[in-house]
Amino acid sequence: MLKSLHALAGGVALLCATAMPIVAQDYPSKPVTVIVPFAPGGASDTIARLTTQIMQPNFAQPLVIENKPGATGAVGAGEVARSKPDGYTLMQASIGTYSTNLTLQPDATYDARKDLDMLTIAVRTPNALVTRPDFPANNVEEFVAELKKKPDALLFASSGAGSSDHLTAELFWQLTGTTAIHVPYKGGAPAQTDVMGGHADASFQNVGAIANFVKEGKMKILAVTGETRSPAFPDVPTFKELGIEGLDVYSWQAFSGPKGLPADIRTKLEKGLTEALNSPDLKPKLEAMGYEIVANDGAAADAFVAQEIDRWAKVIKDGNIKLEN
Amino acid sequence: MQGYRTKDFWAGAVYVALGLTAFLLGKGYSLGSAARMGPGYFPMVLSGLLVLIGLISIARGFLSGGEAVPRIHIRPAVLVIGATFFFAATIELLGAAIALPAALIMAAMASRLFRISPFAMLGAAAFTIFCLAVFVKGLGVPMPMFGALFGG
Amino acid sequence: MEILANLGLGFETAFSFWNLVYCLAGVFLGTAIGVLPGLGPTATIAMLLPVTFGLPPETALIMLAGIFYGAQYGGSTTAILVNLPGESSSVVTALDGYQMARKGEAGKALATAAIGSFAAGTVSTILIAFFAPALASVALSFGPHEYFSLMVLGLIASVVLASGSLLHALGMIVAGLIFGLIGTDVNTGTLRYTMGMPELADGISFVVLAMGIFGLGEILVNLEHEGQRSTALKKITGLMPSRADLKQIVAPVTRGTALGSVLGILPGGGAMLASFAAYALEKKASKTPERFGHGAIEGVAAPEAANNAGAQTSFIPMLTLGLPSNPVMALMIGAMIMQGIQPGPSVIEDQPVLFWGLIVSMWVGNLMLLVLNLPMIGLWVRMISIPYHYLFPCIVAFCAIGVFSLANQTFEIWLMGIFGLLGYVLRKLDCEPAPLLLGFILGPMLEEHLRRAMLVSRGDATTFLTRPISAVLIIVSVLLLVSILAPAVRSKREEAFVED
Repeated sequence: MLKSLHALAGGVALLCATAMPIVAQDYPSKPVTVIVPFAPGGASDTIARLTTQIMQPNFAQPLVIENKPGATGAVGAGEVARSKPDGYTLMQASIGTYSTNLTLQPDATYDARKDLDMLTIAVRTPNALVTRPDFPANNVEEFVAELKKKPDALLFASSGAGSSDHLTAELFWQLTGTTAIHVPYKGGAPAQTDVMGGHADASFQNVGAIANFVKEGKMKILAVTGETRSPAFPDVPTFKELGIEGLDVYSWQAFSGPKGLPADIRTKLEKGLTEALNSPDLKPKLEAMGYEIVANDGAAADAFVAQEIDRWAKVIKDGNIKLEN
Repeated sequence: MQGYRTKDFWAGAVYVALGLTAFLLGKGYSLGSAARMGPGYFPMVLSGLLVLIGLISIARGFLSGGEAVPRIHIRPAVLVIGATFFFAATIELLGAAIALPAALIMAAMASRLFRISPFAMLGAAAFTIFCLAVFVKGLGVPMPMFGALFGG
Repeated sequence: MEILANLGLGFETAFSFWNLVYCLAGVFLGTAIGVLPGLGPTATIAMLLPVTFGLPPETALIMLAGIFYGAQYGGSTTAILVNLPGESSSVVTALDGYQMARKGEAGKALATAAIGSFAAGTVSTILIAFFAPALASVALSFGPHEYFSLMVLGLIASVVLASGSLLHALGMIVAGLIFGLIGTDVNTGTLRYTMGMPELADGISFVVLAMGIFGLGEILVNLEHEGQRSTALKKITGLMPSRADLKQIVAPVTRGTALGSVLGILPGGGAMLASFAAYALEKKASKTPERFGHGAIEGVAAPEAANNAGAQTSFIPMLTLGLPSNPVMALMIGAMIMQGIQPGPSVIEDQPVLFWGLIVSMWVGNLMLLVLNLPMIGLWVRMISIPYHYLFPCIVAFCAIGVFSLANQTFEIWLMGIFGLLGYVLRKLDCEPAPLLLGFILGPMLEEHLRRAMLVSRGDATTFLTRPISAVLIIVSVLLLVSILAPAVRSKREEAFVED
């Protein structure tokens, strides 16, 4: 009953929509919905709201944020993938939705490569390896030695099974040939709390999220995963400098739309979004939160997403990480 | 047999049914070890516990009798719950401007005191306008005003 | 007296004209969204966040904080009036508050809630002012073991909430725990009980369960009785609590404030426990526990005080450590960072205007809530004296729109309908819904902390007893369990003797 009603509704909607050809000159002729497949208040939601707010004055129609949370963004992303590529349904989501979900959720109803057109990678932030304040190691070398001395014993807090910081830890273990116990939490904040309280030993956390805790001496920072040193911690080395290659990882946020966006509409959206991200009203605010502005074009973003999907698929496979079903 | 008619018997039956469903659906989740409990550990313990509580309740219904189950009123249940289902099913097709007052009237019919009157219709219309103004316009709930049927 | 100088600065900031205006706007907006079912402070604050950029940091935070505690207050209003607890903390308020409303004492219940909240808000504001930095360390001393033991205590306390059979209280708690399992397992990412529906991957929303089992279930039961007597309400007897009532709630409010203040400091879910821990405590402490669940005024005063005190002290870990204890706090931290302020211990020294201004404004905001809401009581009471057959369809519609707005899809409406039927059937079988909701709230936290604690201690369960805070909590739980079971066992024996 529900199914057939949905089908009927969908059919009618399609009829109405196909009756009108899309002309880019007319775009946008009605409000544009930006789906955020996470709850209000999270990183993806904040990026979406801030960027669209700055973009709004130069955009002829309202940009409306719609939160469709569920399954690391898979619920909302599936809906975007199935929507009509007319530029009136867009999405702002995270690395998990675009990249790791594809491997971790084999049943997901979308494939970021086949079903989505990227508009821009909005921002990225490297992770930092942090430890509890009284941890004996003071640099990565000592830390790895400690891990090797006590295999499968140190507690690595993460913001969830399959999250970007869990996978970063996994990659770190793989690259250094070490083992530890993964302790997942429900989000970054409780994981950080337990590292500070000494209830967990170490964690990979977004630099922006832990910067202040390190400055207050409540955590120790050993290294960052970026390609270059973090402006917040010019004295802290990158893993690359320390000779650990392949750990230049970032968490990132990106805008996209369903596959098959008309070229001129896509260009218009790319331009609007990247200009907003680089605007003096927004850029310093995002940087204060620990983000680096990427704001590349859609083609570059497409290539980057494909690369990230393959890279994390390998980490997940090598680490034998499964979200059992 | 009085036992079959007691509240305790039927409450127990509900617990057993819920517990068994949870057990059967959760059978496949791995139990893990004490140090690394699997996702199946809690479901197994809880569904077992609920079945046990259910059985005790059923036994109590037979042994100590107790109150009989009062009459379940079918009509209000069907109309009120039906109204929410109707709203869920038609909101995208008809839009809030039509699905909402229709659901309102349907729910209202669950009351024996309710009569369809011009006053009631006017009330439903006024309430619909209020909801559309507050939720759709004011708070930006993305609910179609007019549904797909009307090109919305 | 440095503290007086600081408070002076706080008053100066909080009483500046625009800060007062934004504080008022915040509490007003918060109350409004709190009253509308399904809408929470998180979504509202997220929407308003970009707007606050143009404001000075302290003004922005004063308004956002106002939305937060205003919403807590608004949630209790609907819990009392129509048995719709919009926030998990107002479940217990609904227990006796709604019964008071049915007895015609809705005004008194609302006023009690307002007065209790204000008193608690005042005390906890003073507490924050004097002890915030010292209390912050408490937040970090709680690890997985301590939280697990705390949740055990909470779960046992929730048995006390039921006014009927002990067996059914247990049954409903376990049923609630099972409903709480639905969704993604935190430890492994496994999807449990989702039956292939991605909409269930993040679990059932509390609001859906509460609207269905409490709200719709109640409506269906009420519809049975209409015509027999004047629907849901008896004659309204007085809007304000009498002097005797006020005297009666002094002790419960004090106890509730103390309990709520302590629990609110814990970022890992302490504030959620505050209201029903306070209710359980009152019922245990009362000489006439049988009145609870049938409109006991203490059953409204204590949890409301605890809830508000907890809401205030949950600002302590946020302000002094930068630790968010709930999504609203996380948003406030985001707002501070975007304003160029790094939350943490240095905030007190570096940003005295913001810190003390915010603290004093919380007290001002609570005062505004009181002033705003006491006159509103008459209006609310008049609203529920609308003939029930006109009122209830509107409640149904509010619920449906509210749960739709949670994830902007119809799935939640279907789910709410199903829970409505379940709630009706359970009510007919004398199974009380409150323990089910509490099991549902506590279950996921209980499991998460237990599994994490076991993982951290490598499977050694004795750590729950060797860590001092955890051990104390476990001992208190056992004592409470004994005190619950003892009367039940005794009455069974008496029954047996009578039958002999």
